[in-house]
Amino acid sequence: MKRALALTACALAFAACSRQPAAPPPPRGPEKLLVPEKGAYTGAFIDFGDTEDDVTVEGIEAFEKMVGKHQAIVASSSYWGEQCFPTANLLCIWRHGSIPLVYWSPWDRPYDEDQGPDKFSLVNIAAGKWDAYIDHWGDAAAAFGHPFMVSFANEMNGQWFPWSGMFYGQDKVIPGTKPPKYVAPEIFKAAYRRVVDRVRARGATNVVWVFHAMNYSMPQAMGGAYPAAMEWNKMGQYYPGPKYVDWLGMSVYGQQYVEDNWSPFEPLLDWPYTEITTMEPNKPVMLAEWGIGEFPQFGSKSGFITEAFNVMKRYPKLKAAVFWNERWQNEPSYDDNGIYHDGGYSDLRVNSTPASLAAYRKGVGEPFWLGFPLIGH
Amino acid sequence: MKDPLDNAPLFVFLDPKGRRWPRLRRLLVLLGVLVFLAVVLFLQALFVNPQLRLPASVRRMKGQLKAIEQQEARKESAAEKATDESWRKFYPMTATGQERIAKLREILHPKPQKFSEIRLGFYTNWDPNAFESLEKHADQLTHVCPDWMTLTDGLGTLKVDGDPRVQRLAAAKGLVLMPLLTNEVDDAWSPEAVEGLAMGSDDQKNAFIVNLLAQLQAMKAGGVVIDWEEIDPQRQKDITDLLIKMADALHAVDKELWVEIQMSDEFNVLDLERLAEHADHYIAMLDDETSETDPPGPIASQDWFEGWLHTLAGYGEPDLWIGTIGVYGYDWSSGRKTAKMITFGDAMSRASYAELPRVDSQAPMYNPIYSYQDPQHDHTVCFLDAVTFLNELRAIRAADLGGIAIGRLGQEDPQIWDVLGFKDTDNVTPEELAELDHMKSSDMVTNVDEGEAITVDDTQEDGRRTVKLEKNGRYTVEYSPDFPRYPTIFHYGSGGEHQVALTFDDGPDPKWTPMVLDILKKYNIKATFFLVGSQAEQYPNLVRRIVAEGHLIGNHTYTHANLAAIPGKQVELELNATQRLIESITGRSVTLFRPPYNADSSPSHADELEPLEKVHDMGYEIIMENIDPEDWARPGTDVIVDRVKELRRDGSLILLHDAGGNREQTVAALPQIIDWLQTRGDTIVPLSTLLHIPYNELMPPVDSDPVTLLVAGSGFMIWHWTVEFCWAFMIAATALIVLRTILVAVLAARHYRRERKLSEDAPYTPPLSVIIAAYNEEKVIAATLRAVTDTDYPGEFEVVVIDDGSQDQTVREVEKAALTDKRIRLVRQANGGKSEALRTGVAHSVFDTLVFLDADTHFDRRTFGELVKPLRDPKVGAVSGHAKVGNLRTFIARCQSLEYICGFNLDRRAYAQWNCITVVPGAVSAIRRSALEEAGGFCLDTLAEDTDLTLCLHKADYRVEYSSGAIAWTEAPESARALTRQRFRWAFGTLQCLWKHRDMVFNPQFGALGWFSLPSVWFFQIILVALTPVVDGLLIISLILGGWSAMWFYVLIFLVMDLILAVLACGLDGDKLYKSWIILPMRIIYRPLLSWVIWKALYRASKGAWVTWHKTERTASMPVRAA
Repeated sequence: MKRALALTACALAFAACSRQPAAPPPPRGPEKLLVPEKGAYTGAFIDFGDTEDDVTVEGIEAFEKMVGKHQAIVASSSYWGEQCFPTANLLCIWRHGSIPLVYWSPWDRPYDEDQGPDKFSLVNIAAGKWDAYIDHWGDAAAAFGHPFMVSFANEMNGQWFPWSGMFYGQDKVIPGTKPPKYVAPEIFKAAYRRVVDRVRARGATNVVWVFHAMNYSMPQAMGGAYPAAMEWNKMGQYYPGPKYVDWLGMSVYGQQYVEDNWSPFEPLLDWPYTEITTMEPNKPVMLAEWGIGEFPQFGSKSGFITEAFNVMKRYPKLKAAVFWNERWQNEPSYDDNGIYHDGGYSDLRVNSTPASLAAYRKGVGEPFWLGFPLIGH
Repeated sequence: MKDPLDNAPLFVFLDPKGRRWPRLRRLLVLLGVLVFLAVVLFLQALFVNPQLRLPASVRRMKGQLKAIEQQEARKESAAEKATDESWRKFYPMTATGQERIAKLREILHPKPQKFSEIRLGFYTNWDPNAFESLEKHADQLTHVCPDWMTLTDGLGTLKVDGDPRVQRLAAAKGLVLMPLLTNEVDDAWSPEAVEGLAMGSDDQKNAFIVNLLAQLQAMKAGGVVIDWEEIDPQRQKDITDLLIKMADALHAVDKELWVEIQMSDEFNVLDLERLAEHADHYIAMLDDETSETDPPGPIASQDWFEGWLHTLAGYGEPDLWIGTIGVYGYDWSSGRKTAKMITFGDAMSRASYAELPRVDSQAPMYNPIYSYQDPQHDHTVCFLDAVTFLNELRAIRAADLGGIAIGRLGQEDPQIWDVLGFKDTDNVTPEELAELDHMKSSDMVTNVDEGEAITVDDTQEDGRRTVKLEKNGRYTVEYSPDFPRYPTIFHYGSGGEHQVALTFDDGPDPKWTPMVLDILKKYNIKATFFLVGSQAEQYPNLVRRIVAEGHLIGNHTYTHANLAAIPGKQVELELNATQRLIESITGRSVTLFRPPYNADSSPSHADELEPLEKVHDMGYEIIMENIDPEDWARPGTDVIVDRVKELRRDGSLILLHDAGGNREQTVAALPQIIDWLQTRGDTIVPLSTLLHIPYNELMPPVDSDPVTLLVAGSGFMIWHWTVEFCWAFMIAATALIVLRTILVAVLAARHYRRERKLSEDAPYTPPLSVIIAAYNEEKVIAATLRAVTDTDYPGEFEVVVIDDGSQDQTVREVEKAALTDKRIRLVRQANGGKSEALRTGVAHSVFDTLVFLDADTHFDRRTFGELVKPLRDPKVGAVSGHAKVGNLRTFIARCQSLEYICGFNLDRRAYAQWNCITVVPGAVSAIRRSALEEAGGFCLDTLAEDTDLTLCLHKADYRVEYSSGAIAWTEAPESARALTRQRFRWAFGTLQCLWKHRDMVFNPQFGALGWFSLPSVWFFQIILVALTPVVDGLLIISLILGGWSAMWFYVLIFLVMDLILAVLACGLDGDKLYKSWIILPMRIIYRPLLSWVIWKALYRASKGAWVTWHKTERTASMPVRAA
């Protein structure tokens, strides 16, 4: 009562001008991730830890604040060794307003590279040994209900992951095939198709499938055509076909290790772009990973980033680029006196130096780069 | 003499048979007893603590800790970590290094303490114990290193977070301030901040260094301590160069650069050799063997510690190095990914309340380790104490280092300070060692477990331990089982990693609480509202809505009281009143409680625990918070949201406010906070989930006896409506006063103009009969008569003085005057009262125009002329003159003067304008004889014969006029006592007249008199004056309960209205305007007096007793009128 008269008047006045929460939009068909007609999505993998799945909204927000742009795509991993579907991560990314990109990687703990196939080998997958897990994953994907991108067994044309063709007979030919079909890519495709079929069968039509290779196959020769001996490891050998793929993806990295060579960005993308769009001319292309270490003694990271943003715009089918923002420690060493020296770091973070960050902010700040996914119905 | 009872109408209010009062008294006594009983019952309901019956099984008493089996197995697994000889990677192989190490082999024969030993204390701002420790032990330190500076990005941006208290203390105690400069941003190392700067341009580096120097200069620091971690060894050269550049710049202004060196794989990430030429000291971080992300292990096992000391010998001169001695502990819980850092006291409390049989330290670790469990999780604790301190101190001194650093102040075993006081740590005497055995308790608060629900135990008990020297020169300790007890807070209800709860304090509020409830409903979230009783009392429907929508309610005291600042009994009252209120509104008891004003920090001192323990004993669960975005201070919606985001890292209980001011920002922030938390993957759970206590047990249906509940409920309701009524009354009264003020001002102004026109008329000079009733007036009557006869009045007049049986010399004085002036006549009668005397006077006078004045009233020369002027109009029956106070000697008299000025210049003018004057004062008036007779003459049945007569004249349809020029100087009572008596007479008389003429009120026949002036008298002079003390009292109570903001408005209006009228009155009177200020103190002094008088008159009226003619004691203090 005490403030009754005055307060009531105030309350009425305020109530009249305070914003009402927006009514929920009327229900429509299932959400679909659209391919932008102009420009391309920008996204990132953001230091999500050793198993690449420690997604936090704090991490995403800090990154966005740093680069000055919302992320249309946020990438993280789902390792088969964890035997679960990353529902929490996907919800986090979706609610944040981004499209999740999941690297769904069939390998087992301790997730060491260069070790060859483990119990999640492509052979086992293709033989149906992990159908139960795939089905469970598919169910959970369907239950998630919103569109998200899946890059299954990425960089298969490299030589470090256990699902690489390297580990499945390399140039071994399936007898009686002409033109010759190689064992390794055929197993890959069988596994890939099995995974996609099963997941789709569980009703997870919301998954956007990304065929995700290395820009240049390894082993192979750099910067040009494949020598005949490396024909088996060509990107196109692994392509499971348009029915199984929605987007074409590539990893495009500049120098990552101190012992590597420096390269400008353009040659890293130009020839592979032609290769992948020749292989499949009717799908959008994304840089499902791109990144660069900080090695001032070899080249300018900020220059590389600036160049990358400029070059990427020239390729009309390139519709997304996901920056790999991570810093990791490399192997230690001992000096002549037997004294330990900490391994150096590979700093692929966007803020490894203020100059690199400035270059990234400037590049991604252009309106060409879309910070929000376009969702249709 | 006639008996007035015979022929006259009965004296108004007289109850000759005396029956009314006994009846009334019986009724009043009965009513009083009933009210008293009700109040007693109500208070009993408030003061007797409700039995909160939260089942003991769900109440968390004292943390419920238990010892754990397999202590040894756990200890061994921890010890395994200690065998990791990490220092060997850096073991120097050079000749000089080897040589130095050889010397160190004699480590167990340490040298006597160096005179110049550096003793640095690490310090953090956020821990109140840290400051206390620093303050207490500053004398035993040489340097202090507070964590004040952060390098936030690769551009050299510095974030500085100093504390002037520490600066002052350091200056006073001669401590060198060496603030820490880290690259830890938001709990994570940011190597890029260092590397970016190191690889950046010289300009950037120079700018950074200039800024750093300025900051250090501003805080009067002696230098800076660098703590840069996780940096890339590839940048070794750049970073080392940067540090050298910084060191050189610091040296130029006589400051130092110290660098923390990690005893880990990061050991040689900087170029130690090159940097040694420039840095003043390296601080070896010898308290970090196991980090919080590691599995349980020693914090600084003795082997590890000594191994690193050996290693350091290969890197620079020994006194370059300062060795850190840790004094903290870690608690690893099976429910958490990382260990929680704890103090020595925390480690003792946990061991003590888990009733561990023994805790000890053994070779080769020499770090005490133990395990225990709480109802949810297993725990392993490793901690450092005064004994590990002694072992490490001896090793550091043996290695001849430059000094020690204590990591960190506020966490330590208090007896490390005794160890620092030992004369010779190489030869510790048995007495010194025995000192360590006896552990003194202190009032520093320790914490057990985690969560924002707390119980407390403020027991303090000393403890015992046994310290022994082993053959190899190391000391071991055994605690069993007399652990020291410190005041302890037991925490629980921390919830799962992704659980978070919302709480709102200070409501309900009619505007904001519904908005908050709507948002919560939309998201289907259950929160907890800690209600303030006084708010709940006003808005019971909101309380019901909160419960109906499934939210929890907690007690937040009745008046938002600070428990630490009020006595224990009041704490009970605050809680019980709120409890009873909520019970009566909702039918449920509340068991949750949150203390107001705990927002700053959790209690760190024993005296802060006392009230909490009391609250706990009353049966409440005490709920704190750890996400407090301080929304009450309205920092901006975005800031509120950002603060919640930041604090969510370490907190799970959000505090917001739904009342206590404009909560627009909170309401705007709430949906954003909820969205963000859900995005984060959190579930917003009710407090009952965090506490593992069902809703129905946190808010059980009331099981108090129904009578108590009814009493409490009705009590609150009566109180509620009483307060409501008071406010309504206040508002109505204010409105009426404003209306009346405006009306009076307008009417008075009109009358003023009308009167000025009238004064141009030709003079009217009928013959006059002047009538003066006198009773014991010897002091004043002569002067009065002189003033009357000394007049400019051209007409004829006679002066009739009626002596009403005076016992003094009045008769003689009058006779004396009559001798010199024949116009004066004396008539004597036996004492019969003033009305009787006036009747006699009228009977003995001869002329048609009668002028009345009091025996103490002095007329001006012009008074007669002005007074009779309106009588020219035959419709006018009486004219009121203009009385003024002549004696202005006392404050009370001055007050009355102003009162008269207001009364005559405004009220009477206004009333005259509408012909509704209620009283033609006996002190100065002129009355037409025919009108007097027609009105029935002076009646004997009231004390206010003038009011009575005036009203009768109105009834006889005569006009009653006012003449402002007819000035009469009257003598006002000068003492409060005299004033009270006069006013009592007036009040009683007025009351009688109002009663007698009650038929006139709201009677259309009497126009303005019935509709305006008489109701005015009723309301403003009787009811309002009588009720004001009641209203005042209630307002004061509601003031105490926080209603001031609502009230000042009305008080201000009252005072402003008073002031406006006073100024106007003085202006119309031609008086000095500044005199009107006195109206303000008058309000405060007069009002209680007038109330008293009114109540007394009411009492007398209901008693029906006689009231005699108390008259003002004459002092003859009025100056003789200026001629």
